[in-house]
Amino acid sequence: MSDTRLPRRDFLKLTRTILLSASGLLGMGGLIRFLSYQSQPPAPTEFDLGLASDYALGSRTILPQVPGMLIRTEKGFTALSLVCPHLGCTVNVTSDGFTCPCHGSRFLPDGSLRNGPASQPLTILRVEENAEQHLILSTQ
Amino acid sequence: MRRLIVIASALLLLTLLGIAWWESRRVKPVALIPTITGQVEYCLTCHADIAQISKSHPVQTFGCVLCHGGEPLALTDDLAHSTLRGGKNPSDFSVVQASCSGDKCHSGTAETYSNHIQRATTSIQATYAGAIASILYTFGAQPDLTAHYGITAVEDPLSTSGITELQAFDPMAQTNPFIKLFGQNCLTCHLSAQPIDGQVYTRFTGCAACHTPTQTAEATQTTEIHKLTTAISYTQCDTCHNRGNYDLRTMTFVPRQDTPTDRLHNYYQPIAQFTKCEYTLDCVDCHTRTEAMGDGSLYSNKLDIQYIQCKTCHGTLIALPQTRTLTDPNDLVFRLAQLNPVVNLQLGDTILVTEKSEPLWNTRVMPDGTYELVGEATGQLFGFKPVMGSGCQQDPNDQSSAACHQCHSVQR
Repeated sequence: MSDTRLPRRDFLKLTRTILLSASGLLGMGGLIRFLSYQSQPPAPTEFDLGLASDYALGSRTILPQVPGMLIRTEKGFTALSLVCPHLGCTVNVTSDGFTCPCHGSRFLPDGSLRNGPASQPLTILRVEENAEQHLILSTQ
Repeated sequence: MRRLIVIASALLLLTLLGIAWWESRRVKPVALIPTITGQVEYCLTCHADIAQISKSHPVQTFGCVLCHGGEPLALTDDLAHSTLRGGKNPSDFSVVQASCSGDKCHSGTAETYSNHIQRATTSIQATYAGAIASILYTFGAQPDLTAHYGITAVEDPLSTSGITELQAFDPMAQTNPFIKLFGQNCLTCHLSAQPIDGQVYTRFTGCAACHTPTQTAEATQTTEIHKLTTAISYTQCDTCHNRGNYDLRTMTFVPRQDTPTDRLHNYYQPIAQFTKCEYTLDCVDCHTRTEAMGDGSLYSNKLDIQYIQCKTCHGTLIALPQTRTLTDPNDLVFRLAQLNPVVNLQLGDTILVTEKSEPLWNTRVMPDGTYELVGEATGQLFGFKPVMGSGCQQDPNDQSSAACHQCHSVQR
């Protein structure tokens, strides 16, 4: 009958290998996590709104990601920021234009000021059609 | 040697496991970038469960730090709160300029209806100038009732009342023992004073004394209330105005002895006379923002700024109350109604206005010549008629409340 017990030297070697391997894996994990850390990305300033043909003539499309509104008229595309120029709340779309839920400023459907406390109209955003007929909206 | 290597390996692994455990327990920051500041703050990491303070101050727009101060990037209690303004109350008058000012916020101009800080800090409720002047006059420390002192020193070079400054009142500098007692026992009701002990007196200081409801059903944990409102219940006013009297003989506060359980008995002290509308309405339904918050000038007495009478809404035998038809979309009434939407005012509506043309925005003149008022705090609709054409025989020149109470006081 042969002796199946692991020699002490081999046991220590095996234990050492396991411990160092586990430590190495943990350390590698931490290093990967550290190197792959991404800080909070800045808010986007350009938005691809898709094909221009997707927006019907006369449409007024809310763009919650901007926040803004894309308006298509016979003259083409225009876009309004839905950020109130008073203090920066997002205005609500109403049947007669826009109303700020924070302090009650109201704007006409074209974004011009109806009543304060805001003293400026809604900001007009730049919207252009690129070579692929996609609408690109810029908030800057 | 091999044993040492194994022990060192074990220690290394334990250390790494410890770091991993600590890392897994570490708070994951929740970032917010408010529209106004554009600066990251991590307050919502711990405070995401706090209700938005009002629809005029959405957290996505204002964040927390703009009003409260504090360290926006800190993730521990002590550091994050180390630079808070006013503790949990940034509207305390000692810090209100830093917390609430801004020309688009609450330190703008009278023309834009946004000079709230200037008005509130010069108001009688803040200066307590009337009570101080009365006591000094009563005990011979000054020759008349003109105010010279306030709770804090305050200047108002543009004051239209003739009083351009108040010095800080120091009762201990007075020689009369009653005035010293007044200073010790009776300075508990102004807007910078800590209230006396007791739930019925519980309120904050500064703007929040009135605008944060500590006396409603939701106020179960008073110190945690995160709300600003213009729908101010009479119970909030009562934290100062109706919970007892100051006894001038002993210069002490004497609490109410009754324990009212309904609005009728709660509203006024047992000795008071009042009419039905005085207890069914809330204080703010009749008393205007100028009466409560001042008009920006310093005054010697609350009677110099308080002017609403029964006739303001009811008129007299020979005159109807004053009205205004809304033609300007920038009229203040639309902002007031937007803040507290108990009425849906429209251009073309006619409302009652006070003798100083302040809008009673929660009223409306009806086509049949009667009037409607919607309770600002309750939303309850009240209809009422003018005195003119009624059987009332009151002398139009006698508009003291006592004159109306002769016929209209409520019996308890």
